[in-house]
Amino acid sequence: MYAQAFFVAVFGLAAIGFGVWVFRTSSMVRSALALLFSQTAVGCMFLAMQTEFLGVLQIMMMATEMSIMAIFMVMFMMDPGGMGGMDMTHQKRFSIGAGVVAAGVAIAVAVLADWAPVSAEAPAAAMQTRELGRELLGRSMMIFETAGITILTAMIAATAAAIPVQTPAHSDEKENPE
Amino acid sequence: MSVAVVLLALLGSVWLLAVVEGWTTTGRLRLTAPLLSGVAHLGRESIVPRTPDRLFFEAAPVLLLVVAVLAAAVLPLAPTLVIADMATGALFVNAALAYVLVALIMAGWGPNGAYAMIGGWRFLGQLIAYAMLIVMPITGVAMRAESLVTTVIVNSQDSVWNIVYQPLGLVLFIIAAMALAFRAPFDLPVAGGELGGGVDAEYTGVRLAVLRLARLTLVVTLALATTVFYLGGWHGPLLPPWAWSLIKTLAVAVSMLLAGRYLPRIREADLMRWCWTLGIPLALLNIIVVGILVLVVP
Repeated sequence: MYAQAFFVAVFGLAAIGFGVWVFRTSSMVRSALALLFSQTAVGCMFLAMQTEFLGVLQIMMMATEMSIMAIFMVMFMMDPGGMGGMDMTHQKRFSIGAGVVAAGVAIAVAVLADWAPVSAEAPAAAMQTRELGRELLGRSMMIFETAGITILTAMIAATAAAIPVQTPAHSDEKENPE
Repeated sequence: MSVAVVLLALLGSVWLLAVVEGWTTTGRLRLTAPLLSGVAHLGRESIVPRTPDRLFFEAAPVLLLVVAVLAAAVLPLAPTLVIADMATGALFVNAALAYVLVALIMAGWGPNGAYAMIGGWRFLGQLIAYAMLIVMPITGVAMRAESLVTTVIVNSQDSVWNIVYQPLGLVLFIIAAMALAFRAPFDLPVAGGELGGGVDAEYTGVRLAVLRLARLTLVVTLALATTVFYLGGWHGPLLPPWAWSLIKTLAVAVSMLLAGRYLPRIREADLMRWCWTLGIPLALLNIIVVGILVLVVP
């Protein structure tokens, strides 16, 4: 029990530490990978809390997602390596205020919420996977399918928007240079 | 005990694979060549390029090695010879191997060199091509075993191996595994002769030795995964279970190396197109066929 609490705390602190690093570095790749390791630490917290499937899934999904985010950050930022000395932060006072308020709300919820009694024994990992599968194909199916289709639609729309439109006038010019 | 035995088996397999690799490239069978080459790397100067991202540059080879070993940790050599028999073993293999991409992006970005960076980002494109072809065939394997536990997956092939039960899945998985291990013809991130070594380009000395060891370990791990998922794992007559696992693993690994020698390097755009327009529909077909077989065949 104490060992479990210790590891949850260690990975929790690692997640916060990497999260802070995201904003302290000017390099876009460092920032993206710091966010990845922050999320990986959250995955390790799941493992420490004996939710094996969710932990492994979190660790797997984040590697790909954050790496893809890294290349977009490199593409769209003017100083992707952070070596040009650009200040890429803005609205500092507002963001500090928003951060403090959000942290206060999160801590208040953690302290004041009526958490149900801690279950003494977590179900076996294989049983958890089974239960999760039944949940996803039962009560929660509509929510997950809606989310999935929404993300897919957004991806297709973003790709369509990113493809340069070739107007007939342009294609004429290419074919008939005169 | 299992940890030491599995690590020793991995190291031995990597050594044998390096001997075979040397044999196919130089035509000479020298058992000591990998060892001498490793010692030579250790003796050489380990150059650090100008203004690198030092953290990524140093971490990348180690991360690549660690993820290859971590993925092997959940794959059994024999019924009791597995480092961690996790309830989500088949998923964990994916999770660990996803960090190959992270290691290569680090290795590409870290040295502050153009060729390395192109190689690193190229692998990201390669992942978009192969990723689904790793996950979807494993789904078929897990469907038949009705479990993600790797030892249960091997036991599910007691009567008929998955190479017979779902041959389409095997073909897709091996192609995707070769792309994941960035072996020829999918060696786009390193691409000698075109990118001048790509992600390998700026590494020398001990760092290059670790990188090479990691690449070969990755091939062995993926060959072991193929053995566990499709070739009946430790099942086989006469010989002890661990021996069958090793023989099959080495056979798959050597086949991967040989296939690479006789195939031309594929273009990034072609790889992406073939994987998405042909690979993924075939992987879906495999899942449907396995689903029907699981329900119909007792």
